[in-house]
Amino acid sequence: MEMQNNVTKAASLRAPASVRRKISNVTKEKWKDFLFALPALAFLGAFLYYPLGYSVYISFTNWNMTRPNVKFVGLDNYTRLLTNDDFYNSLKITLQYTVMDVVFTLAAGLLLALLMNVTSSRLFAVLRGIVFMPYYISMIIAAMVFTWIYNSQYGLLNRIMIGLGLEPVDWLINTSTVLPALVAVSVWKGAGFAMILFIAGMRGIPAEYYEAASIDGASRISLFRHITLPLLSPMTLFLVITTFISSMQVFQSIDVMTNGGPLQSTNAIVYWIYTMAFGEFRTGRASALVMILFVIILLLTLLQWFISRKKVHYEG
Amino acid sequence: MKMKKWMTAVLAGTMAIGITACAGSNNTGVEPAAMEALKEDTTPITIQYWHAHAEAQLEGLNYMIGEFSKKYPHITVEPVFQGAYSELHKKLQAAVAADDVPAVTNVEVASLPNFADSGVFEELTPWIERDQVQLDDFSQGMLGAYAYNGKQYGFPLIVSTSVFVYNKTMLDKLGVKPPQTWEEIDAFNQAVTKKGENGMPTYAFSVPGWDTWYYDPWMINGGGQILTDDMSASAVETEASLRYIENFKRWKDEGHLHIGYGKGASDNMRQMFLGGEIAMVEHTSALLKMYQENADFEVGVSFLPGDEKRTSNIGGAGIVMMAGAEDAEKEAAWKFIEFMTSAEHNIKWAESVGYLPTRKSAIDSDEGAQYFERWPQYRAVYEHFDNVTPRMQHPAYPEFSTVYKEVVGEMALNNADPVPLMKEAAGKINDILADYE
Repeated sequence: MEMQNNVTKAASLRAPASVRRKISNVTKEKWKDFLFALPALAFLGAFLYYPLGYSVYISFTNWNMTRPNVKFVGLDNYTRLLTNDDFYNSLKITLQYTVMDVVFTLAAGLLLALLMNVTSSRLFAVLRGIVFMPYYISMIIAAMVFTWIYNSQYGLLNRIMIGLGLEPVDWLINTSTVLPALVAVSVWKGAGFAMILFIAGMRGIPAEYYEAASIDGASRISLFRHITLPLLSPMTLFLVITTFISSMQVFQSIDVMTNGGPLQSTNAIVYWIYTMAFGEFRTGRASALVMILFVIILLLTLLQWFISRKKVHYEG
Repeated sequence: MKMKKWMTAVLAGTMAIGITACAGSNNTGVEPAAMEALKEDTTPITIQYWHAHAEAQLEGLNYMIGEFSKKYPHITVEPVFQGAYSELHKKLQAAVAADDVPAVTNVEVASLPNFADSGVFEELTPWIERDQVQLDDFSQGMLGAYAYNGKQYGFPLIVSTSVFVYNKTMLDKLGVKPPQTWEEIDAFNQAVTKKGENGMPTYAFSVPGWDTWYYDPWMINGGGQILTDDMSASAVETEASLRYIENFKRWKDEGHLHIGYGKGASDNMRQMFLGGEIAMVEHTSALLKMYQENADFEVGVSFLPGDEKRTSNIGGAGIVMMAGAEDAEKEAAWKFIEFMTSAEHNIKWAESVGYLPTRKSAIDSDEGAQYFERWPQYRAVYEHFDNVTPRMQHPAYPEFSTVYKEVVGEMALNNADPVPLMKEAAGKINDILADYE
């Protein structure tokens, strides 16, 4: 602070009056800018930064939302989580879910984009609309419908399996099928959105590249491999990061379809946070888990971004 | 630089306000003199009643509130449906944190200790003493379920217990009666399980694995207990505590016992029973009406079989007063609590919501006799009225009970041997207990 005063003093000594006026105008302008941003900042402050800061504080306490005397417990919540097998199990489940979700959503989206990217026919516009439809169905509703589809006794899926002469499967009760079953709902919901973005990306690729390559005798497969895929990479990166973040935070489908079970096989981190805070009344520890998840997502997103810098081609 | 400091100051300030607001939410007690004055006070007042009564119970609730406002015209009760118990509890937590609580609420019986431990509920003793409520008229087990550390925090409102619901038509045809002791179970199994025979049960009976409420009493009946007497350590791994699960495993391996686990297991069990695949299912008494309406056979009810002991745990919800409410609200809340649980309306209320009556005088009345004529199945429960006991009361129960629930799940889904798993579970339970301050 003192240094700053010295600097301004020094500036006022040396600079001519006109420059001084300019500086004060700039500061005035800055305050004006700040004033205009204030309503938005106040909103964010009240509903984002304050709760965020407060949950950092809670994560160092044993608060349970109801007890009157809150005790500061230091890093206890963090050490207990990080030395707990359940944490690593939950993290593993979350990552498994995320990897499957990202891979299958993008693969399905890309495949659909290749199939549906036909501008000449109205039929395809309608089909695209149908494929995109699940995206705007609420996850709660989708999850409830799929709970019925997956039901082992009278679910649609098992009816079909029996019809095909296959053994029925307890989709949501068997620990090895339950996670893929959840991923399938998410892929069903998200693939249409990925398709639309991939189509947008494809239409942005200049036709000359394809023409030039075909004249040189490139096959359709090499056109796809060497032109479409690399030039779709910015879109792919965007989809990877957004799908990654949303599937790391998977919650609604688990809440409706499995409650984290059976035998914790779908106890992903966000669902665990929820049961810890509101089922076991451990708000402090749940807040600590929120912070840990925040750091994990941040690090993994940075990692993706870092790796992608070498792999993503921005056209032009 | 300046701005950042200013921001942190504001942030710290608001945080401090938040913290003190939380700390301030703890009103306790009403002065005795003020209590007397409030009793006769008829200044109009409105209180909120947060509840988890599903649609089928609303008619009964509205009737009760109507009768209540006839008796106390100055009190308006606003019923607010807050979803199932777990939803209701979350909203209660949030309400306490925000220091904006209803005057009266439901609480699910297993969650009472946690809330009571945090001072969220008001102790009812001063009002009970002032108005000389006959506590011994309540079923002692049901009343005890809403006391914690010797203090009465609420009264039983909708009470259920787990019972065996059986296919009477089928058992009569087979010439067997539901087992009353563990010793009779093997013979029962032999007579009832008829694999592959058309129209005959595949399983003799089913015990739900998805909720510890259904097998905690089995553990106790076998002579075991969940925690040691001083509640400081796990006891699920002791020889006596393992008896029930070793039997479950044997009955399951022999093909007599069905154990449902995971989401949808309750529906499946219901379907299998209604479809004649299971002859007898352990379920909550609150679903008796549902079974009776949907079964195309005669439905019977039997109390859980006993061994060293014979008990079944209380489920459902009670009615409690919030400590954070104003004194005048508390007085109105007390009148409402007393009214809702009074002997006068006990039978009517119980029948309209499908739960059990709680008052001895009500059961012994003419109205009670008529009730048993309409619902003869409930006799099986009332013959064991005093064997219906509270669940284990510990604030960490919701957390540590999932540990041994998973052992049952491993057995149900993966056919794992429960004995070594239960020993492992004991370690985890002890960690949770040590962690709980």
